[in-house]
Amino acid sequence: MIRDWIARRWNVLRPLAGILSGLIVAACVMRLTGFQPLAAYAALWSGASGLEYGAASGEGQIALGSGHLNTFLLAQSLSAVTPLIFTGLAVAVGLRAGLFNVGAQGQMTMGALAAAAVGVIGRTGLSDAGTLNPALHVGLVLVAGAAAGAIWGIVPGILKAARGVHEVISTIMLNFIALDAVQYLVTHSLKDDAPGNQAAQSPIMASTSWLWPYVNGSNLTAGLPIALALLLIVSFMIKRTSLGYQIRAVGLGADAAGANGVPVARVLVTSMAISGAISGIAGAVQVMGIHHRYVAGVAGSFGFDGIAVALLGNLSGIGVLLGAVFFGALASGALYMQTNTNVPAPVSEIVQAAVIIFTGAKYTIAARTKNITTAKDDQDPGIVEGRTLAEGAAG
Amino acid sequence: MGSLANIQSFWLIAILVATLNGAVPLVLAAMGGILSERSGIVNIALEGMILTGAFFGAWCGQSSAAVGLVAAIASGAVLGLLHALLTQKLRMNHVVSGLGINMLAAGVTRYLSLVYFPGGLECKAIRPIFFLTAAAVLPVAVVLLLKRTRFGLRLRATGENPESARMAGVRVLPVRVAAVTLSGIFAALGGAYLTLGEEHTFSRDMSAGKGYIALAAVIFGKWNPPGAAVAALLFGLFYAVQSQMQIHNLNLHIGGVELTNPALLDTLPYFVTLIALVSVVGKSAPPAALGQEDTDAS
Repeated sequence: MIRDWIARRWNVLRPLAGILSGLIVAACVMRLTGFQPLAAYAALWSGASGLEYGAASGEGQIALGSGHLNTFLLAQSLSAVTPLIFTGLAVAVGLRAGLFNVGAQGQMTMGALAAAAVGVIGRTGLSDAGTLNPALHVGLVLVAGAAAGAIWGIVPGILKAARGVHEVISTIMLNFIALDAVQYLVTHSLKDDAPGNQAAQSPIMASTSWLWPYVNGSNLTAGLPIALALLLIVSFMIKRTSLGYQIRAVGLGADAAGANGVPVARVLVTSMAISGAISGIAGAVQVMGIHHRYVAGVAGSFGFDGIAVALLGNLSGIGVLLGAVFFGALASGALYMQTNTNVPAPVSEIVQAAVIIFTGAKYTIAARTKNITTAKDDQDPGIVEGRTLAEGAAG
Repeated sequence: MGSLANIQSFWLIAILVATLNGAVPLVLAAMGGILSERSGIVNIALEGMILTGAFFGAWCGQSSAAVGLVAAIASGAVLGLLHALLTQKLRMNHVVSGLGINMLAAGVTRYLSLVYFPGGLECKAIRPIFFLTAAAVLPVAVVLLLKRTRFGLRLRATGENPESARMAGVRVLPVRVAAVTLSGIFAALGGAYLTLGEEHTFSRDMSAGKGYIALAAVIFGKWNPPGAAVAALLFGLFYAVQSQMQIHNLNLHIGGVELTNPALLDTLPYFVTLIALVSVVGKSAPPAALGQEDTDAS
C-alpha cells in the first residue's frame, strides 16, 4: 500500500526528501557550531521570500498582514534564480542526450566575455552612451553570448563523437582553459583602458546593451523572462520535435539509437552546442544586467550549481524551474541570514551539497522496491547507465 | 663568467625547488586517484579531499603539527569512505557523488573558517622534506601494492571486471572501499602539504583545481603510478617556469600574444591532458569497469 503510494509519487517525493535531508544536515552543522538553526532558517526564509516582520517602512515595502513584503529582497532572490534556470536547463539538455556537461561554468564564462566584447560596440569615448538601437544591440549581445557558449560546448561534443573522449574530463579541462584565456584577454586586448583602471576587466558596455532592473537597485532584469522563455522553448524542443526525440533516444542508449538510424555523432555534437549556447546566454545576461562588463567571477559557481538544479529537477522543464527557484532563493536568503543572524552564508552550500548527495543516492528506498528501480532507470537515462570513463577514453 | 655560472645554477635550483613544490601535492593526490580508478571508481572528489585535508591540517595543527597531520588524514579517509559508500552501496553515479563531495568540502570548509577563524589562522609547520619523501616513496609503494600483493591483484581484477572477480571469490565491496579510502588519505596528505608544509595557514578554496590536475596526471600517465608521477612533475615544472618567468619579469611574444603570460602558461596542463586524451591514451588504458555501475554491488 504505502510502497505503491511512494512509487507513484516518487518523482515528487525524491527531491522533497532530498531537500528536507539537506536542510536537516545543515541544521545539525549549525547546532554543532553554536547557532540556532530555526532562527537562522527563519531569517533565510525572510531573505529568500522578501517577507519580513514589522510594519512597512520606506520605498519598495508593501504592508502584508502583520509584516510586509520587501520587494528589493524578493527581486534579489529572483535575480539569483535567473542564471540557475539557464545553467540547470543546459545541464539537463546534455543529460537528456546522455552527456554529463560539467562545463557549463566555462561555457558561461565564454558567453559573458563575448557579450562584453560585443557590448562595447557603438560606444563613444569614455561615456557609456551608445549609438546602436537598444533592441538590436541587446539581440546582438545575446547571440554573441550564445555563439561563444556553443563553441565552447561543441568542442567536447566533437571530442566525444569523433574520438570518444569522455565529456566530464574534457569539460573540466575546458572550464579551466576558459577561465585562464579570459583572464589573459581582459588584461590584454580586451582590457578596460579607462584612466586609472588596474582591475582585470573589460571596458564598460554601451548602455544600449544593458538590461535594466525592474526594482530600483536590484539585479532583477529581463534576464528572468528570457530564461523562462528559453525554458519553454527547449522543453518543447525536447518533447515535441524530431531533434528532441533523437536526443532522448541517444540518451537512452547510443548503440540502440544508432542501430535505428539516429545520427548519433551529430546528435551528440548538437546537444552539446545547445547546452553550451544556453550557458553562454546565462553569461551574457549576467554582464548585461548586473556588471555591464566582464569582471572576474562573473560566472560565480552557477555552472556547477546548474548540475544540482538539473538533478534535483529530474531533468524536466518544470523540475529545472523549481530546482532553480529553490537553490537561487536559498543562496540569496543565506546572504540575508548572514547579515541578520551572523550565521555564515556558506550554509547554503552545505545544504546544496547535501541535497545533491541525497537526491543522487536514488536507490535508498528504491533498491528495496524493484518496480521503482526500473521505473527510475527509464526516467533519467544519462546519469545511471553504464557509461564509463573507459568507454570515453577509448578511441 | 663565474658569476654567470652562479646565476645559472641558482636558476636551475630555483626551478627545481619550485617544480617539486608544485608536484608534491599532485603526486600524492594522483596516487590516490590511481588506487580509486584502478578499482573501478571514478574519483573527481580528489579536489574536495585535498581541500578538506588542507583545512583540517591547518585547523587541528595550530598547536601540534602531528595532530594536524592525523586530522587531515582522518578527514580524507572519511570522504573516501563516503565516496565509496555512495557509489557502491547506494549506487550513485560516480561523477555526481564526486561533485557532491567537492561541494560539501567547499561549503563546510568555508563555513567553519568563517565561524572559527574569520581573521585567518597560523598552524605549525612540518618540514617539506617529509612530504617530498612521501611523494617519492608513494609511487613505488603503489606499484608494489598493485603488482606484488594479493590486495593489489584483487583491486585490479575488481576494476577490470567485477563480475569475474566476484566469480573468482573476491569480495568486491571491501576491496573498493579500501581503495577509495586510501585514495582519500593520499589526496588529503597532498592537501596537508599545502597548509602544514607550505603556507602555514588556510585560505578559502586553496586547493584551486589541484585535484582536477592530479586527475589529469592520472589520465596522462595512463593509470600507472610512474607515468602519473612523471606527469605530475611535468605539471609542477609548468608552475615553476611560470613563477620564475614572473619573478624575473621575462616575456616572450609571438605574433602579439604574450606566450609567457601566467594565465596562458596556466592552461598548459589542461591542454596537455586534452591532447593526451585525444591521441596518446590507447584503447586499453583505463580500467575496463571504471565508472560502471556494478549491478551486484551490495
